[in-house]
Amino acid sequence: MSGEISIQKRQSNTTRWLLAPGIIWMSLFLVVPILMIVYVSFWTQTTFNISSDPTLASWKQFFSSDTYTGSLWTTVRIWLIVLACTFIVGYPTALFVGLFVKSKTLSTVLLVICVIPFWTSFLIRVLAWRPMLGKEGAINIVLLKLGIIQQPIEVLLFTELSVIIGMTQIYCVFMVGPIAFMLSRIDRNIIEAARDLGAGFGRIFWKIIFPLSLPGVVVGAIFVSVMVLGEFATSGALSGRKVNLLGNIIVTQVGSLKWAMASVVGVILTVVMGIVIAGLLRIVDLKREL
Amino acid sequence: MESRILKPALGLYVALFVLFLYGPFVVLTIISFQQGPEGGPQFPIIEWSTYWYRHIFGLTPPSRIAPLPFGEALLRSMALALMTMVVSTVLGVMSAQAFRRKFKGSSFVFYLIVLGMMVPGVLTGLGTSLLANNVIGIERHWYTTAFATHVAYTFPFAFLVMLAILNRFDSSVEEAAWSLGVDPWTTFRKVTFPLIFPGVLSAMLFAFTLSLDEFPRTLFASGRDQTLPLAIYGTFSVEIHPNIFAFGVLTTLFSFALLSVYGILMAMSVRRAKKMAMQEDIV
Repeated sequence: MSGEISIQKRQSNTTRWLLAPGIIWMSLFLVVPILMIVYVSFWTQTTFNISSDPTLASWKQFFSSDTYTGSLWTTVRIWLIVLACTFIVGYPTALFVGLFVKSKTLSTVLLVICVIPFWTSFLIRVLAWRPMLGKEGAINIVLLKLGIIQQPIEVLLFTELSVIIGMTQIYCVFMVGPIAFMLSRIDRNIIEAARDLGAGFGRIFWKIIFPLSLPGVVVGAIFVSVMVLGEFATSGALSGRKVNLLGNIIVTQVGSLKWAMASVVGVILTVVMGIVIAGLLRIVDLKREL
Repeated sequence: MESRILKPALGLYVALFVLFLYGPFVVLTIISFQQGPEGGPQFPIIEWSTYWYRHIFGLTPPSRIAPLPFGEALLRSMALALMTMVVSTVLGVMSAQAFRRKFKGSSFVFYLIVLGMMVPGVLTGLGTSLLANNVIGIERHWYTTAFATHVAYTFPFAFLVMLAILNRFDSSVEEAAWSLGVDPWTTFRKVTFPLIFPGVLSAMLFAFTLSLDEFPRTLFASGRDQTLPLAIYGTFSVEIHPNIFAFGVLTTLFSFALLSVYGILMAMSVRRAKKMAMQEDIV
């Protein structure tokens, strides 16, 4: 009896030692830094210096400036549009890969094909959209050759549209993966049974396939949301500095050593992120589904 | 009935989707063969040439376009990715190993670790540099502060990969070793580790590639010396030349080489496992 207890004790000791390094690392280099952002957002900022005297000045400055509040709404708008686009673009692909392709090999090959572009550096992938979208870019050349347009489209590059196109392409795969995974786990017999009972594809899709793929949609939406909300490189490189997301404000503020303001924007970004993720997790109980 | 129309339609859609995914890369590759040094990063191609590839390696006569300042940055990024890979994988294996037993607060620890891949890089980068720069007052370097953020980012991936592997792990082989009196550490080294090695390889691959291309965290946390993504970002603000695209093609090829090494190692470890299983059958 006592031997069993001592084994249990030793095991829980082992667990503690195995976990300690990871917990310490994450606390020191993830939790403490985020708390620092909250703390520094109340510091006093002067032109050349920053001191730890508490003040609300930076917060007031954020909410009284149209540039800053505007960037908050731009971020929310771009996030919603890109989220919708990645879903619309990604779902049919996931449907094909996860449900319609019968052979396991082919669906793996298709998923690998989707992942390969990620082997190019993220920043160069962003940059590659410039010769794609420009006035003399690939899209305009192709459309002109096909005779679909007579004049090159100029709104493609250095606008909000180019940011949306770029982000959709970069992030849509994060939608495809989780949805395809959930779809591939659907028991085909359920679909067969529904079909035998005379249900058409539309009915089968809305009553069976879509609800069962919802956890995948939520996971994909969390991935895309986290990445789009924290973005600044794509918006910086493709909008010609016309689209300023919260991330862009943080970068410029840090660049001019306005740490307090950068922290205020950081806190706001964290709050937005928290609301978005909590809202998405409300839709499905992931712990139960996975 | 519906699959006769729907399946081909979806197949066609997927083809368009792949075109959408690969479009920029195709354009990037085409433009990397632009004539130099006058040809810019746009269409039309004046004349096909390998000028910009030679330009990267300094094999072209000097012109007004400076070579990309990527040499040292590349070395730094590789060193950082290697460091990150080792630490993240070790932490990931340890934590996942701990999660095989039920313990109090396990879901808290789980979320604490997974938080690392959920918080945007802008925030961890900003927070870490605030902590180093304003609160503690130390200098930021790629091998200190940036390294800390890289591990905080890649460790969750390694952890999740290992968790998935260990969930399917048959612990009866370990119990057999214990009952023969082998101590836990030797059991882990001789029994558990060889069996989970494919997972360890995947965790390493994840950590290495994520760290190599990590940008937002590094931007804030790395201080004076640039890593490769920062050096690339630096070229954004000045005029862009096709050499950056040629560089993109080369790094992609390098990634493929890396992936092949991973594939070979994976195939080897699978074959060894099969061979061991066969020997057991014979005995």
